[in-house]
Order: sequence, then structure tokens, then C-alpha cells
Amino acid sequence: MATRVETESIAATRRRPARRRVRVPWSSIAKHGILLFFCLIILFPLFWVFLLSIKSLPDAYTNHIWPNDFDFSSYRTALTAIDTLPQNIKNSVVLTLATMLITTTVAVLAGYALVHLPTPGKGIVLAILVGSLFVPSRVTGLISIWEIQDRLGLINSTWGLLLPYQTLALAVSVFIMRGVFQTIPRELAESARVDGAGSFMILRRIMIPLVRNGVIVVLITNFIAAWGEWLLANTLTNDQEQRTLTVVMASANAGFGQWLWPTMAAMYVVAILPGLIAFIVVQRWYMRGLQEGALKG
Amino acid sequence: MASRAVAVRPPSRFHTIWRSTTRFARTWPYLVPALVFFIGWQLWPIVRALWISFTNFSFLLDDSPESAKWIGLENYVNALQDPLVREGLLNAAIFTAIFLPGMVFLPMVTAVLVDRVRNQKLATTYRLILLIPAMIPGPLIFILWVWMYSNGIGPINYVLVDVLGVYDLTNQPTWLGSTNTTFISLALMEWWWGLGFHTMFYLAGLSTIPKELYESARVDGASEWRIFWKITFARLRPILLVLVVLRFGTAYALIDEYILTGGFDRSKPTYTWTVYMWDTAFQVGDQNRGYAAAIGWIGTIGMLAVVLWLFYAFRNKD
Repeated sequence: MATRVETESIAATRRRPARRRVRVPWSSIAKHGILLFFCLIILFPLFWVFLLSIKSLPDAYTNHIWPNDFDFSSYRTALTAIDTLPQNIKNSVVLTLATMLITTTVAVLAGYALVHLPTPGKGIVLAILVGSLFVPSRVTGLISIWEIQDRLGLINSTWGLLLPYQTLALAVSVFIMRGVFQTIPRELAESARVDGAGSFMILRRIMIPLVRNGVIVVLITNFIAAWGEWLLANTLTNDQEQRTLTVVMASANAGFGQWLWPTMAAMYVVAILPGLIAFIVVQRWYMRGLQEGALKG
Repeated sequence: MASRAVAVRPPSRFHTIWRSTTRFARTWPYLVPALVFFIGWQLWPIVRALWISFTNFSFLLDDSPESAKWIGLENYVNALQDPLVREGLLNAAIFTAIFLPGMVFLPMVTAVLVDRVRNQKLATTYRLILLIPAMIPGPLIFILWVWMYSNGIGPINYVLVDVLGVYDLTNQPTWLGSTNTTFISLALMEWWWGLGFHTMFYLAGLSTIPKELYESARVDGASEWRIFWKITFARLRPILLVLVVLRFGTAYALIDEYILTGGFDRSKPTYTWTVYMWDTAFQVGDQNRGYAAAIGWIGTIGMLAVVLWLFYAFRNKD
């Protein structure tokens, strides 16, 4: 119930006033027709891959979209067919959670300093962060990232990936947090300061509760960036035990000798499911976070 | 009078330095954690790559870039004459040109349509469904679409061949395999992925347009088409420009989708400058990372030049 009331109240502020004129039906049909078409296109590949994962082998190879026989055993096969897979999943989970936590924390701190503190040099910091969006540092810097990791003895180490992973969405995260902090009136921090609160106290007690939705957006952004990261993980690790789920999936895709299609599809569903479930759980706050200035940053 | 004199007197030099030092000490601790990662693993690597690009550092021959020979601009001279670099830059540009229009205009149309949906439950449902692909990481999207386009298992060709009968098994399109269709297939995949997320940007922009503007335009008897161009499009223009610049940056330096869909096949158009750089640095020959760094920097400079030109072209003309 609360959900509905809240979404409606956001919606109400955005809604155009009802027109006096009676709507021409065909334009409404066209509008919904196009949107429905887009939605179907979006859903079809996901629906297809899910069906593939529960098809029996003959159905998978004859390609019929709706299977004659269902076979749910592919999920068990998928999780046991590669003996390193539990380790790969664990690597992905640990790396992703740590990246979400660290990047979000540093982005919140930086966003706060860039908006609500009299930080010297914030213009320069901001300019460099903006500039980084227009430089393909991920590609061009790869050679030197390899070198740094090598000097630190972190080549072929899952934990070592944690360091370069922090930059995957760092600049964007700081922008989002900056945009969200900007929506909070300065007077709020000022009055707390007059009351004798320190800057960290203000951040923790007053700001964090107010930027909650923005934090959700940043968390999700980093989840997507880290969970699916392929280039760095593929370049900086060699042993299958050290690799992440995405890298193992991608290489299984390239040479699927031991792999059968429904098994591959089952593994794929396992790989995308955490993101979709997390999205369904937090979508209310995520949408509001986007509205509240995350996109304006 | 006395109080004014106090206010005018300049603070002592020591006092000013003390004040700015404490201000620094009180605020920068919030920035430092982000900057450590940003400088260490994003800014420094690209600067370091510039330095490496002036050496003949080959990973299998030299211990470190320092022990390699400084050869000045030789890598750049060679790279600019290398047909693989030239074709790689050109192919990246062709893909960007195919990719950009759909990536910025399709979401705009979608956003305008979603914004006009009056039933709020329906509007929220549309948004959620459109956003689903944004919750799947890129590389996993590419794996899925390799299957979608596949001749053996792919549902697209299944529909075209077995259901509709437009093609038969001998002449069915080989989407990612043939040179003509590779980029358009990749672009379709990217549009599918980015549609919902970019729509959200436009929806955020649409929500800031005051409704009175539409009302008064209608009272003045302006046509719906004119209202769209003069109000909606004009207000969305800044968002459009930001997205063009941002997406240009990502499109020109794509690498994951090229490697995951095309591998390291030099005859394919997906062997762009980024893939060539990776191949040179980590895979072929002596792993000539000096040369690879030069390729990377040529791409970077090309990209920066276009971005600056875009900013110049889109500068506020008012």
C-alpha cells in the first residue's frame, strides 16, 4: 500500500493536467503499441534464454522456442560441470560486494566534500573527474594497470582485482552523489554546524538518511560494473580458480566442448539472476534516486 | 568607527596560512580515499602508458619499461603507417556512426511516449520493463546476443528460416559473422541494452518542463508537432548533447563486445584499434607494450579531438 501511495505522489507531480479535448484514440493505440513492442523486444531474449535453460536436449537442438519436454536438471549440471565454478561464483560475490561497499563509501565522502564542505580545490578535482569520462583510460591504461598489479605481486590474484575495480564506476558514482547532495539545502548543514556538530556527525546523522535513494543508485551502478567486469579480470588473472564467473562463462562460451546448450543457459540465468532480484527488491528507491538528481549530476 | 577599522585591517600572514591549512585538513580527508583509487588506477596508468609509448618495451624481452630503450616517436610513426591501426580507427568510427543515432534518439522517442502515459501503474510498469537490461552487466549481454544471433541455436534465424521462411539454411544471415552485418547487429544489441537507461535521462528532463508552457502554446493554437519541436525537443536538447558526448566516448573505445563477439580475428571489422592494442600488448609476438601503448594513445588523442570538437559544435550559441 505504501508503495502505491508513494509512486503515485511522485507521479502526480509529473503528470500533465488532463486535457479538455477528448483524446484521439488512434494516437493512444499507437503510443501503447510502440511501447508494448519495445517491452516485448526487451523481454524476448531473457524469456528465450530462460526457456532454453529448462528445455530437454532434443528440444534445445531442434530450436523450437516452446519446448515439448521440460528438463530442470540443467541447473544441477551447470553448477557441477565445471569443478571450479563454486569458487568462481564465490570470487565474483566477494569482489562485487567489496567493490560496492568501498566505492560507494568513498563516493559518498567525496560527494559530501564537493558540495557541503568548503573544500579548497574542489573545482580542479571536479574538472579532472569530468575529464576522465572522455578519456578511454580503461583501455589505454590497461598496460600500466598490469604493471602496477605486477609490482604489487597481484597478478593472478582475485583479491588484487579489488584495487582496479574501485575505478570502474568511481567518477560516475561521485557525480551521482554530488548531484544528490546538491538537492539538500545548505541551511540544514549550517544550522547543525551552529549547534556544534562536526562535519562527520552532520554527514552521518543528517545527510545519509536524506541521500539514501542516491546511495541505492550508486550501489546498483557498482554492482553492475563489478559483477559483469570482464576485461580486467580476463587480463589480470590466469588460473581458472582465481577467475570470476563472468570470465569463466565467456570462455566456456568460446569453446563449449564440455558444454551443452541448456547447461550454458542455466549458468547464464544463475549469472544474471542476482542483479534482477536485487533490482526488483530496491526498484522503488532506485527509481526515486534517479528522479532525485542522480541523473542531473 | 572602531569596529570598521578592525574589519579592514588585513589578517596576518600567519593567520591566513593557518586558516587555509586547517580548512584543508578538515575537508580533504573526505576526498582522499576516492582520489587514491582514482589517481592510482585511472589517472596514473594512462600517464604512465604515455611514457611507455616512447620506449620499445616488449614484455618478453625487457624486465621493465625502464630497462627498455627510449625511442622517441618511432612507435607513433610506425603505428600511423600500420594498416591495422588505420583500419582499426576507421572501423571504430564507422561503428560509432551507426551506434550513436539509435542510442540517443530511440530513448528520446520512448521517453516522450512514456511521459504521455496517463495511467500511472502502466507508466511505472513500462519503465521497469525497459530498465531490465540495464541491470545485466555488459559482457553478459554480449554473451546472450552471440547466442541470439547464432545460426545453430539462435531464435532470430529460427524465426526467419523455420517460421517465416524468409531465408533457408543456405542463405540465412550470419549476423555477427559477415562483414556487412556485424556492426548493425552489434548496434542493435547495444540499443537493446541502453534503451531503458537512456530513457530515464530524458524522463528526468521531461519532468522539469513546466506544464504551463504546453497550456499556453495550445491556447495560442500551436500544432502538436510545433509544440514538440519548440518546447519538448528544445528542452531535451541539453540532455541529448550530453548523451551524444558521453556515448561517443564509450562507443569509440569499445573493447569487450568486440573481443567477446569477434575474438582476435584480424579479418573481421571488430578488430578495431582497442582489440589490436590488447592483442599486441598481451598476446602476440614479444608482447610489444611500447607499441601497444602508442596505439592506445593515438586512439585517445583521436577521441579527445572529437570530444573537443563536439563541445565546440554544441557550445551554447545564445
